[in-house]
Amino acid sequence: MSEALVTVEAAGTGSTVPAASGARLFWRLRAQRAALVAAAVVALLVLIALAAPLLTAVEGQDPTTYHPSLIDSARGGVPVGSFGGIGADHWLGVEPQTGRDLFARLVYGARVSLGVALAATVIQVVVGVVVGVAAALGSQWVDQLLSRITDVIVAMPLMIMSLALLAIVPASFPRPVLVTLVIGLVAWGSIAKIVRAQTLSTKGLDYVSAARLSGWRTWQIARRELLPGLAAPVITYAALLVPMNISVESALSFLGVGVKPPTPSWGQMLTAADVWYQAAPQYLLLPAGALFVTVLSLTVLGDGVRTALDPRAASRLRVGTGRKDPAANARADVGQTAGSADVTKKKEASA
Amino acid sequence: MRQPSVIARRVAAASVSLVVAAGAAACGPKDNDAKGSGGDSTPHKGGTLTVLNSQPQTDFDPARLYTSGGGNVPSLVFRTLTTRNRADGAAGAKVVPDLATDTGRPSKNATVWTYTLKKGLTYEDGTPITSADIKYGIERSFAPELSGGAPYLRDWLTGAADYQGPYKDKKGLSAIETPDDRTIVFHLNKPEGEFPFLATQTQFAPVPRSKDTGTKYEEHPVSSGPYEVVKNENDGEHVLLKRNPHWSEATDDQRKAYPDTIDVRSGLDSSVIDQRLSASQGADAAAVTTDTNLGPAELAKVTGDKDLAARVGTGHFGYTNYIAFNPTVKPFDNPKVREAIAYAVDRSSVVNAAGGSALAEPATTFLPNQKSFGYTPYDPFPAGPSGNPAKARELLAQAGYKNGLTVTLTHSNAKDFATSPEIATALQDALKKAGITVRLQGLEDNDYRDTVHSVKTEPGFFLAGWGADWPSGGPFLAPIFDGRQIVKDGANFNASRLDDKSVNNEIDAINKLTDLDAAAKRWGALDKKIGGRALVVPLFHPVYKRLVGKDVRNVVISDWTGVLDISQVAVK
Amino acid sequence: MSGFGGFLLRRAVGTVITLLAVSVIVYVVFYATPGNVAQITCGPRCSPEQVHQVAERLRLDDPLSVRYWHFLQGLFVGQDFSTGTSVEHCAAPCLGESYQTGRQVLDIILGKLPVSLSLVVGAMVLWLLLGVGTGVLSAWRRGRISERALTAVTLAGTATPVFVIGLVLMIVVCGELQLLPFPQYVNFTDDPEQWAWNLLLPWLSLALIEAATFARLTRSAMLETLAEDHVRTFRAYGVGERAIVVRHALRGAFAPVIALNANNVGSAIGGAVLAETLFGLPGIGQELVHAVAVVDLPVVVGMVLVISFFVVLANAVADVLYAVADRRVVLA
Repeated sequence: MSEALVTVEAAGTGSTVPAASGARLFWRLRAQRAALVAAAVVALLVLIALAAPLLTAVEGQDPTTYHPSLIDSARGGVPVGSFGGIGADHWLGVEPQTGRDLFARLVYGARVSLGVALAATVIQVVVGVVVGVAAALGSQWVDQLLSRITDVIVAMPLMIMSLALLAIVPASFPRPVLVTLVIGLVAWGSIAKIVRAQTLSTKGLDYVSAARLSGWRTWQIARRELLPGLAAPVITYAALLVPMNISVESALSFLGVGVKPPTPSWGQMLTAADVWYQAAPQYLLLPAGALFVTVLSLTVLGDGVRTALDPRAASRLRVGTGRKDPAANARADVGQTAGSADVTKKKEASA
Repeated sequence: MRQPSVIARRVAAASVSLVVAAGAAACGPKDNDAKGSGGDSTPHKGGTLTVLNSQPQTDFDPARLYTSGGGNVPSLVFRTLTTRNRADGAAGAKVVPDLATDTGRPSKNATVWTYTLKKGLTYEDGTPITSADIKYGIERSFAPELSGGAPYLRDWLTGAADYQGPYKDKKGLSAIETPDDRTIVFHLNKPEGEFPFLATQTQFAPVPRSKDTGTKYEEHPVSSGPYEVVKNENDGEHVLLKRNPHWSEATDDQRKAYPDTIDVRSGLDSSVIDQRLSASQGADAAAVTTDTNLGPAELAKVTGDKDLAARVGTGHFGYTNYIAFNPTVKPFDNPKVREAIAYAVDRSSVVNAAGGSALAEPATTFLPNQKSFGYTPYDPFPAGPSGNPAKARELLAQAGYKNGLTVTLTHSNAKDFATSPEIATALQDALKKAGITVRLQGLEDNDYRDTVHSVKTEPGFFLAGWGADWPSGGPFLAPIFDGRQIVKDGANFNASRLDDKSVNNEIDAINKLTDLDAAAKRWGALDKKIGGRALVVPLFHPVYKRLVGKDVRNVVISDWTGVLDISQVAVK
Repeated sequence: MSGFGGFLLRRAVGTVITLLAVSVIVYVVFYATPGNVAQITCGPRCSPEQVHQVAERLRLDDPLSVRYWHFLQGLFVGQDFSTGTSVEHCAAPCLGESYQTGRQVLDIILGKLPVSLSLVVGAMVLWLLLGVGTGVLSAWRRGRISERALTAVTLAGTATPVFVIGLVLMIVVCGELQLLPFPQYVNFTDDPEQWAWNLLLPWLSLALIEAATFARLTRSAMLETLAEDHVRTFRAYGVGERAIVVRHALRGAFAPVIALNANNVGSAIGGAVLAETLFGLPGIGQELVHAVAVVDLPVVVGMVLVISFFVVLANAVADVLYAVADRRVVLA
């Protein structure tokens, strides 16, 4: 998924009024059935990841034990039995070549994949918001410096820098943490751009000017007036970042620098499984399906949150054509900011 | 010996094999199986052979190539003083004359080797090949600009250790004499009965001084073989060869050169190569690969399909994957600990991780299981196919680790199924049963090599592999166990730091032998003697399964390379 | 139009600064990566003396700052290299020569760039067709089953890594159905038809990944327009739904789609690493991954700079296009 899209998409959430309170957000979200279902699925996935040891204990398996008797060594180690050895002992069959339990690897893999993706997203959001707000509120000089740094970060090929960074750090450093840090610290450029643009546009608005006139300090304004306004684009963008980060994790595994065995991750499973598509299809379909469900539910949830956060959506609903919130998503997606921070709208500039 | 990565990268270690032996013997009429659509199994001249490879043919310069027996694609363009016998199986592990009239005449206790060139040898432009060109070809391989080859010339030629090649040092190497245009004499600093094997490497190919363009020479090296380079795009990624009109069968009884054109395409994903060969669409019907073998997933599919199975051949290349110990690191200084690990190892699960019983054979000897290496079967720590954890616990208790032991296993993160995480995790699982907790230290490929090959940083317990530069015990055992080959400030391969007078003396004694069969027997005996010390734990010898396109015939795979020999393949 | 001239000038200066910063970062990061460059270049069995000679020739023993200075010199003045038998001049902007092969980095890049550009530009056409098409359909059929199914399909593309989609497509389309040849790059200038047939699967694999984002963007932009007052007025006047969708709503989606697209093309040139590796296309991405593996610093720096250049360029183009499409935007 492209960073630019998200820039365009998320920035637009551009609510020009202070954001909705938590309770109101919840009520608005409740009005959307699809988003609720998606939220439930995401919650379930997180729960499965957290409860991995419990679930595998119920199954009576673990993700690392080899079962040589369940594979056919002479045929490359393909699982014995139909559907990849699915049965009462191994709910989703076993892995080719090793006979390790696939259900156990899938649920433990969820821990790594979701954990890395969520944690990396948090890092990206924090760094992006800090840099973006600082650039928007700082002096011309600070803005120039931070914007240039952001440009450099955006310009560098993410995958290549990750390859290099992952090779530098000593092997003793815990791998999932390292992968998280690398993804998080290499890919915060677009969120910084969005936040800067958003902050710039909010900064000029009347209520902020009023606050400034009444003698508030910059950081007070940032905290009380600007940050709440950023919630909508940032949350929207974060929902899109999570699946992006999951695919980066799997790409790093494909290139051989991801999370290391025996720790399972979805990306690693996909990498090992793609060649088994013909001989042991379920080996590939399981992690691919898990990834699909995750991305789908996160996307739908992201849409829902965005709709709920856009205060104009509600009024559109009332005065609109009677069809459900037609404009809400649209406003969010078309946005007021293009890919670059150097573009500002006339009306904002004049505001 | 090359290291694993080099094998994977530069030399086609994987091998294709004989469709004929594997397929036809088992089923059906001998002539039709595996021989392609025609039904006529006689190979004919003509057509285009496509080679689908994963690694590009980089450094297409005879000075820079590190090959076993002259390589595969390179050997179509570069003829050498001697070459490997182009025959199936064990017969292919012999050295035979190529440019020279014989495999070399030793004198002075095998320290002087003399060769005479055949008559009527010419380059692709018709100019004659002289012994001075061979000398020049060897000299330029010493230039820092053209580094990359095997270390033997520098180690063996008298006074060559500090030579920097003909670009800096115009005087040349005095260890090589060319009394006339057809004679070349090599002076060695010690007896080397295996010199004829060394003379198969591409550094022994002639290079005309007037055509030498230094680092640019690889773009169009001057051919002495049956094909000349038409195109070499993107540093060996697409190489197009066509017949060299000045090459003559009369002076070359090894290369058959059936196809008119050979089109080498590389940079391909290995699973895609196997898919293409299996589909055999269009030009792929006349395609082979020289560096990719069937992976476990493809093997699982192929074994269920009779037509495909008939197109798969099996090859062996002298290679051993093993656990290396550094006895200067505790607790591996204690032989009992090393023996305990040797007993605890579950070779069947390691073999599975390496691709299953069709792609790997369990190993208990360090020497590969082939006669030319002097293979002598032995198993100093007989633990059965899946290990003997009880015996291991017993040995650990004797060593003072009654309650078990925690150790760190260093491995690479390369996706090579040799020193890679898959093998390491299989060992981790097996050693757990013997009360040994294994922590894995996976290093990125370069880091791994720097770490395990430096005496300063070498870990106590790591995965390693060793392959043959030529099919003999010498280059297999000496770099690993010869005490004088411990390198303190560079790449060291004697990981166990073994420096035993009796071992060193025996290596010297065998090197004096020019009777290679007698030498092989003594290498085998030496291997057995060292094996009892548990300095390494041999794990498996890889086996190569290679698929060829449906129109490919005359497939020849020797035990020297384990690879389908392109110089023998016909597509018509 | 002095505003535009000023914009160009500022952008050019910004680009140079950004690229120099990128080169410094790459130098520092790769200086720190493990791997004895001289040993890798020389070969695993090289003696310490040989390794030393190679290090000397490649100036690997110089401190980082000196090496970077040489790089800058090459970039602005050019450099001379010895091939052993002769001296070769590499004119400015010289990106140096590969440690591993001794070839000039710029030549390597120029040999690979057509492949990467072919891949990305073709994929772009496909993702625009697929994405915008799906977007229009789903805006039109909003809320119905067909719209949800379309959304799910495009998202499945996004959710599946390119190496999985690509391999499965290849096995099915080329191996089992034999509808297309297995991809193998053919120069456009040699045979345009074969070029297209061979690249069709790689294009499709990349396009499936990007299509979903364009579909969603198009859909929401259209819905935005459809809800605007003048459209409601048209409707009230009885203008046909199809005409409204095509003439008005689709036009509304034009600006954001163009902006996003220009931006994506830039990052995709570097981001097609996985597709190039899987399909065996000899492009920048594939070469770069290899260069990283063997710590071939000049090649890595050169290629990263080229990719960064395209990203920066694409961002500028996106801004210009956006300003052209939407008059309310000024270029600053």
